[in-house]
Amino acid sequence: MPDMLAPAMAPSLALRLEVESFYYDEAALLDQRRYREWLDLFTDDTHYWMPVRRTKASNQLDGEFSRLGDMAFFDDNKAMLTMRVRRLETGYAWAEEPPSRTRHLVTNVRIVAAEGERITAESNFHLHRTRLASDESNWIGLRRDVLQRSDGMLRIAARHIFLEQTVLLAPNLSNFF
Amino acid sequence: MQNAASIDYRSLVDARAGTVDRRIFSDAEIYRAEMERIFARCWNFMCHESQIPQAGDFFLNFIGEDSVIAVRDRKGGIGVFLNSCRHRGNAVCRAESGRVKSFLCTYHGWTYDLEGKLVGVPGYKGFYHEALERDKWGLIAARVESYKGFVFATMDPEAPALDDYLGEVGRVGLSMAAAHGDVAVVDGVQKNVLGCNWKLAVDNLFDWYHVQISHASAPMSGYLPKLPYKDEDQIVSLGEYGHAISGPRSTPEMREAAARASSEVPLFDERWRDTPEALAALGPVGVASRGSPERRRASVQRMNHTFGPAGMLEQDDGENWSQSTLATRSPVARRHPLNYSMNLGRGHIAETQPGLPSIETHINEHAQLWTYRAWADWMTAADWPALKRDHAMPAGAV
Repeated sequence: MPDMLAPAMAPSLALRLEVESFYYDEAALLDQRRYREWLDLFTDDTHYWMPVRRTKASNQLDGEFSRLGDMAFFDDNKAMLTMRVRRLETGYAWAEEPPSRTRHLVTNVRIVAAEGERITAESNFHLHRTRLASDESNWIGLRRDVLQRSDGMLRIAARHIFLEQTVLLAPNLSNFF
Repeated sequence: MQNAASIDYRSLVDARAGTVDRRIFSDAEIYRAEMERIFARCWNFMCHESQIPQAGDFFLNFIGEDSVIAVRDRKGGIGVFLNSCRHRGNAVCRAESGRVKSFLCTYHGWTYDLEGKLVGVPGYKGFYHEALERDKWGLIAARVESYKGFVFATMDPEAPALDDYLGEVGRVGLSMAAAHGDVAVVDGVQKNVLGCNWKLAVDNLFDWYHVQISHASAPMSGYLPKLPYKDEDQIVSLGEYGHAISGPRSTPEMREAAARASSEVPLFDERWRDTPEALAALGPVGVASRGSPERRRASVQRMNHTFGPAGMLEQDDGENWSQSTLATRSPVARRHPLNYSMNLGRGHIAETQPGLPSIETHINEHAQLWTYRAWADWMTAADWPALKRDHAMPAGAV
């Protein structure tokens, strides 16, 4: 009887559920400002990249995003991500002193590819931020991740972030996506 | 505040006392007057030639609040035009960069060529009876000149030639970015919105006083080495019309120290320029390669990490400027002037290099005060001839 109450889930659904849970846990770490634990979710050889986006004619959209190696908002390896966290820990990072209040909403999780220990997943996100009395910023976009499974745990081997903004409607990008 | 024409701008900047009235950073009438008296008259930087290499390549920018298009024409020249159809004013270009064969207005189909000429008017025969003088209704063109590939545009026919306008200080400033003559711009412009007056951002460029506090998190986290320049060894160069350069004196020893202090690519490492390999590599290929693809990648990454809205330095500037601007609007705060009195009266200008009046001193606020004085000149002058007649010259002590 217990088996009939717990029908087997298709493996693809199970994987998506696992990745969603991973993303929800990650979002909770960020919103709780547990940055060191957040860093541990990345592999040592990770790449964290947010290109610049431009308004282009529909027949020139291949140039919509800046290319790897050119200008970018984030183009970080693990050491650079760690440096950003260290900066926040100094207490002198004025853009985050007093700290922002963030809420990461993650949705539309899709498994694009799954080959053994490497999973390519896309998700939509909405990062809502308020600062000081009433400064409010919203960032919405797509994250395309390569997740690596090792020792049973998922880690982020690459995160490419595509914002739905060309001119950023915020005074800075002092938070993590 | 009163009507723009009746404002006594010179009373808002007191060079003797070293004070600047807060209202110039948020008064609506003054802002509108700045659009006319500064942006519509000066030479405005548009883009670099390497961004629009082929015929039809274009790049959108602003002159004050006017949207303008910088475009490479069929003869290889560069034009800058108001991005506004002459018929009903619609934008004729909405992508921020790209390549086109012509500019089509999406409203009624008026079409302009790459030289801004009106070449297509639907109904020209049937509706206009050929009475419309097309050559009088092309896109409004700016005057365009460039210096070492940096393209500038002015909407004022009475503005002096770019070279004269820049003067030695302007030319030296641009030459610092184009030291070997052949420059290519890395693709991608970071854009974001800040709630601050434009003059506060300009102010900050000359400001080496704020670095140790505003950017304290950079050396504290280990991102930057303890900054290797000397607070006691600064140079300020002042040019007519408000140009200025301000910062630490750069010596080979300092560059060496900066390079040694960091095992990654340091922020201001320029040793590569002096190596035979770099000089051989630079040649006609251009400086864009910076000697090797790895070197280029590392340099660009370093810039991305440091500057821009996610930059380790620049994140914190935004807070300072926005909060400062807010306090120029509140009713009581705006009655009290800002203080620009650092080293006042002690900055003796000497022309040790011809055409480059300079002050050699420690950390100071001379360049800022100089530009606010020039601001008052620009705002007071009714036109270019008046500005030429009546503007501060860099001499004596600031």
